[in-house]
Amino acid sequence: MTSGMTRGLKGGLILAVALLVAIVLSLMIGQIRLSAFDLWNGLLTGKGPGALTLRVLRGPGIATAIGAGAALGASGAIFQILLRNPLAAPDIMGFTSGAGLAVVCGVLAGTTLPMPLLSAAGGLAAACAVAIMAIKRDGTQVPITLILVGLGIGFLTTAAHSFIVTRLPPEQAAEAQRWLTGSLAARDWGHAGQVFGCGAVLAVILAIQVRALGLLELGDDLATGLGLKSNRARLKLAGTGVLLAATGVAVAGPIPFIALMAGPLGMRITGATQPGGRILSAAVTGAIITVLADLAARSIVPGLQLPAGVMTGIFGAPYLLWLLSREMDAGDI
Amino acid sequence: MTHSNDNALKAENLTIGYGERTVIDNLSLNFPSGRMTAILGPNGCGKSTLLRALARLITPAKGSVRLGGDDIFSMDTRALARRLAILPQASKAPEGITVADLVRRGRTPWRGLFSAWSEADAAAVERALKEVGLTDMSERPIDQLSGGQRQRAWIALVLAQDTPCLLLDEPTTWLDLTHQIEVLSLVRERNRSQGVTVVTVLHDLNLAARFYDTLVLLGPNGMVAAGSPQDVLTEENLTTGFGLSAMVVPDPITGTPMVVPR
Repeated sequence: MTSGMTRGLKGGLILAVALLVAIVLSLMIGQIRLSAFDLWNGLLTGKGPGALTLRVLRGPGIATAIGAGAALGASGAIFQILLRNPLAAPDIMGFTSGAGLAVVCGVLAGTTLPMPLLSAAGGLAAACAVAIMAIKRDGTQVPITLILVGLGIGFLTTAAHSFIVTRLPPEQAAEAQRWLTGSLAARDWGHAGQVFGCGAVLAVILAIQVRALGLLELGDDLATGLGLKSNRARLKLAGTGVLLAATGVAVAGPIPFIALMAGPLGMRITGATQPGGRILSAAVTGAIITVLADLAARSIVPGLQLPAGVMTGIFGAPYLLWLLSREMDAGDI
Repeated sequence: MTHSNDNALKAENLTIGYGERTVIDNLSLNFPSGRMTAILGPNGCGKSTLLRALARLITPAKGSVRLGGDDIFSMDTRALARRLAILPQASKAPEGITVADLVRRGRTPWRGLFSAWSEADAAAVERALKEVGLTDMSERPIDQLSGGQRQRAWIALVLAQDTPCLLLDEPTTWLDLTHQIEVLSLVRERNRSQGVTVVTVLHDLNLAARFYDTLVLLGPNGMVAAGSPQDVLTEENLTTGFGLSAMVVPDPITGTPMVVPR
């Protein structure tokens, strides 16, 4: 235990420092460069260019990125543990694009419903569709079928995205396209508050279920033998996972690959093997990836603001290919 | 702590099917309290199905299962988990998890949602690790252990659950003979020291005869025989159950019946 603990502490420290560095870099770099001195001064005095950057220009976007990345990372870890497969993530299984589709449709239809509600409805609808279509003839479900059916649902919703975008007037189309790629541009403190508020509630709900997750990852039969109502517990955990992903999507769009990458990456850094530690590592790693992706998106091409989703795609897609080839070698696909 | 009260497991008029297919048809059986019973039979005869029904993992179409007189299908899930443990076939450990972390999860039915790790929990885990001989390896990740050690870690999990009734589904499959004997010995040790009722699905007839008090032989058309190894492992029963022509001779070491296929 002790060696595992020290490794966990060390890994946790590395993640915390990495997040801090990512935040500071993200605050300093952009169309206008800000010195560390200006930033520090702004933080202390609340005046000058540093304070403006913190409060208005970059602060809200970065805070939103942290919240959205953490929510997506945690959601990915939940599904990866629950289905015991590194491919099982809400962005691979179509939940995030379902959430994104619902938001775009809702906004276009002129609904006054809040975005998180639309996002949650879309995510849950996609998840239900995947769960129902993956049921085998004998009434059971296997993880790999769920993942592949999810992949299909993801393609379907993405096709629907494209169709909707072509029907829109040019200006709206560009805006919708940008959001559907996953973007953190023009976020305000309202967005940050929303993702942290919803995220905090879901984190509490998740904390109560962490022990159940630790049993379910031993297999349903053993979990049931240890006194868990497995079906109900799995449904609750999946629901919490979908809602966490939807919370991230509501403020950042269906930004791809963060949920997929954060879990395994975080686990490698902290060495966490218990569900609680794995989810926590995934949340922090997700936040780091998102902050860095947003930073890269707005600074890599001078004068051009790319959607953050383009950046996560550049790293995420090769990772997915590598993962697929590894799973195929293992004979799981 | 000895489990002194009645922990017999009774199947009454059990009928279990998957869809159209009936696997177990109107079976009544008694698994005596504090004894070791092995369920034997050819592949597909419903051994595992029966065991899963005894642990309430599947609901029978008809009939009931009683543990010490209580109907297990109307018991609280947690209450049942404190009285009956099951180790399913070929479990797969989560990546990187250590032996101790795995075994600790066996304490779940005894812990409240927010209650801290108790001394009783620690003692039960320590004892289980000692019984399976993995005390020194408790901090090692499961994926680094040998097949025999890994199986012992899983058994430690259900031993830590500390129930008076223990069900095992083919705990020796994939193990070499030495490790098969090791696993069955430690299960018998728990049975003898604590009076735990043990029900095991097994493949090896000779090991079953050596280690178990009672045998149940299922055939393609239902139960063939149940009783002592001498009563169950007869040439006639083996023909009915397995379609196997064999000679039964006394085991030169233990005197229990030994099946020698012709």
